[in-house]
Amino acid sequence: MSFNKNMRVLIVDDYTTMLRIMRNLLRQLEVMNVDEASNGEDALAKLRKEPPDLIISDWNMAPMTGLDLLREVRADAKSRHIPFIMVTAESKTENVIAAKQAGVSNYIVKPFNAETLRAKIASVCGVAA
Amino acid sequence: MSALTQSADPLQLDNAHDYLDRVIRELHGLDTARKHPLLGVLQYLSNHIRNTRTEIGALRPGEPEASMLSSSADELEEIVAETARAANEIMGAAETIETLCGKVDSEASDVLLSAVTRIYEASAFQDITGQRITKVVRALQHIEEKLTALVAICDESIDAPRKAKTGDESLLNGPQLAKNASSQTDIDKLFDSLG
Repeated sequence: MSFNKNMRVLIVDDYTTMLRIMRNLLRQLEVMNVDEASNGEDALAKLRKEPPDLIISDWNMAPMTGLDLLREVRADAKSRHIPFIMVTAESKTENVIAAKQAGVSNYIVKPFNAETLRAKIASVCGVAA
Repeated sequence: MSALTQSADPLQLDNAHDYLDRVIRELHGLDTARKHPLLGVLQYLSNHIRNTRTEIGALRPGEPEASMLSSSADELEEIVAETARAANEIMGAAETIETLCGKVDSEASDVLLSAVTRIYEASAFQDITGQRITKVVRALQHIEEKLTALVAICDESIDAPRKAKTGDESLLNGPQLAKNASSQTDIDKLFDSLG
C-alpha cells in the first residue's frame, strides 16, 4: 500500500520539538506539503481555511485537546471525511475506545518510529500500488 | 461538665488537645491504681499532638522547608526546558547531516539517512519525559497546596480528598509507566477489535 506523497498534511502538537520531529519524518517519507498547529483551536482555524488531506494530532493539548479537535472535525460536514490519526502518549484502553467512538481513523502511541508512521498513513490514505 | 462525661462531639485538633489535657487532669484526681496505664497512653497522645502542631506551625510560607517543594517544581520545569533545547540542538545537527546525504555515494547515503531517522525517532524522548515531569510537578504543587492549607489552619481538618477526574478530563493522564504501558501492537489489536 502506498499513498499520495503530494497530499497536504496538518500536524498538531503543543511541543514544538514534536512538530519538528514529525515534519522531519514526513519529509523522509517524501511528504513535503506539511502545515503545523500548536493546539486544537489553531488547527481548526487552519483546516477551515484550507482543508488538509490528513490530520495527525496529539491528544494532550490546551486549550483544545486532540479529542475535542477530532469531534469538531467529525461534526463539520466539510471536514468529516478527512483522515485523522491520533499520535499520543495516552495509551490506556479507554483512550483508544474514546478516540474510536469519536471517529479517529487510526491511533499511534508515543514513542513511535518512522515505519509505524508510514504504515498508519498508508492504512488511512493508502492506494493500492 | 466533666471531660470524662462530655458527649463525643466531633473535635478539632486544637480542641482535642485541650480535651485530652482535661481528661488527664481529671484522671489524676481519681483514686484508683488502674488509671496509670491509661494516663501514660493519654499523656503520650497529648505530647504527640503538641509536637505535631509545633512542627506544622514551623512550616511558614517563605521558610526554606516550605519553599522546598516549589523550588523542586521549578527545577523540574527547568529540566524540561533544558532537554527541549538539547533535543532541538541534536535535531538541528541531524538535519544538517541529512542535507549531506545527497552528496555522498548511495550506500553511505542510505546508512546516514537511517541513522538520521533513528535520531529523529529518539528525539521524541523530550516529549515523553516532558509529560512525565509535568505530572510530577502537578503532584508537587498539589502537595504544596495541602501543606499550605495545613499550616494556615493546623487546628482544622485537612480538605476533603481530591475529587476523581471524570469525563474527558479522566482521559488526560499522560504517558503510563513502562510496565503498565500498552505497546503499538496492543493498541492495534484493541483498535481493530473495536470495528
